[in-house]
Amino acid sequence: MSRKRRKPSHPRPARPAPPPAGGPLSGGGADGPGAGPGGGAPGASAAARLWHRNRREITFLVLFIVLLGASFTLISVNWINDHAIEPFTGGIARLSGAVLNVFGQHVALHGTVIQGPRFAVNIRNGCNGVEAMLIFLAAVLAFPASWSSRLAGLALGILAIQIINLVRVVSLYLTGAYLPRFFDASHTVIWQSVVILCGVLLWVFWANRLPPQDEPAT
Amino acid sequence: MVPVAVLWWVATPVYNRVLLRSAGGILYLLEHPAVTDLMAKGDHDAYIVRRDFPPAHSLVYPFRVTDVHFHLLLLGALFLAVPGLSWRERLGNLAAAAMITVAYDVLLIVFIVEFAYATHLGAWSLAHYGAFARNFYGLGKHLLDLPFKLALPLLLWCAFYLPRLRAAPATDGPEKT
Repeated sequence: MSRKRRKPSHPRPARPAPPPAGGPLSGGGADGPGAGPGGGAPGASAAARLWHRNRREITFLVLFIVLLGASFTLISVNWINDHAIEPFTGGIARLSGAVLNVFGQHVALHGTVIQGPRFAVNIRNGCNGVEAMLIFLAAVLAFPASWSSRLAGLALGILAIQIINLVRVVSLYLTGAYLPRFFDASHTVIWQSVVILCGVLLWVFWANRLPPQDEPAT
Repeated sequence: MVPVAVLWWVATPVYNRVLLRSAGGILYLLEHPAVTDLMAKGDHDAYIVRRDFPPAHSLVYPFRVTDVHFHLLLLGALFLAVPGLSWRERLGNLAAAAMITVAYDVLLIVFIVEFAYATHLGAWSLAHYGAFARNFYGLGKHLLDLPFKLALPLLLWCAFYLPRLRAAPATDGPEKT
């Protein structure tokens, strides 16, 4: 699927055996691969060992945090919100309205508002699946894999997240229309958790199915 | 996820009060003079109260405490669903991750308070917070309340289990593919 990339000037240590997962990012002992340089202070040596043993994991976590912060900062810019996020949210509202009309709900659309005879919802940031998409995107881009694997994962993952989000919007409208007392909990806690959990599980599924030879391109 | 959700829902009123007291304690240390109270309203909501404001205006900002920590649902589900581990190990890792999450939740409430002071009190906010501070607390609350709150369970899960995930295709790939 992808070719193994190697940088001759920076050879990587061999991948360690599967760790016991006894705690976060194993510190390792002095006999581990890439044991820290001797002669330094104990703290610095331990940090160096931690870095050498978990370089890829630490790189992933740092990249993930940076990408996540950068992408959410980007969408908080008014211009981006007005010219990209709002039209995208409007598209989701139109699609959700179409599905609700298939179910005989007779809804009308006003921008991002889905208005029906029994209930109305305004799809805003937080309900458009963008958060789950960006978390998924940051995790996929930060994970060491080939670009072809990343692009395939992004395309399928984002599509799946949006399908789940469509189910969420439609079901929230129906909850508000027919079971209004469950709407708040369903809106803020249940569906938010479900959509993010689906994004996380999609990422775990994607990362777990990467071919063993799919070495990092970062 | 369902057992975790039930446990979370049952523990939420107590946890909300723990969070409010912890965040209130941190605000007490940060403020000179200390004028902020976090007053619980029912089981799920709270008010930010300023003691130095006139009584009619002392309830400055309401927020839903339960919304601060629903990521515990994801955390519990992710950590307890890891296959191939003893329950003792799963629960130990979950406890360690939960402690980090509690610290995060307290920090988020502190940011919610500062965000309210910096951006929601009109002329008072403008007089007491400069442009940088308003943007700092606004962006900080936005990032802590949305992306990092939602991604924290995944981040913690990766910190504990990413080496296993990365090693899995090499060791038992044929089973999983």
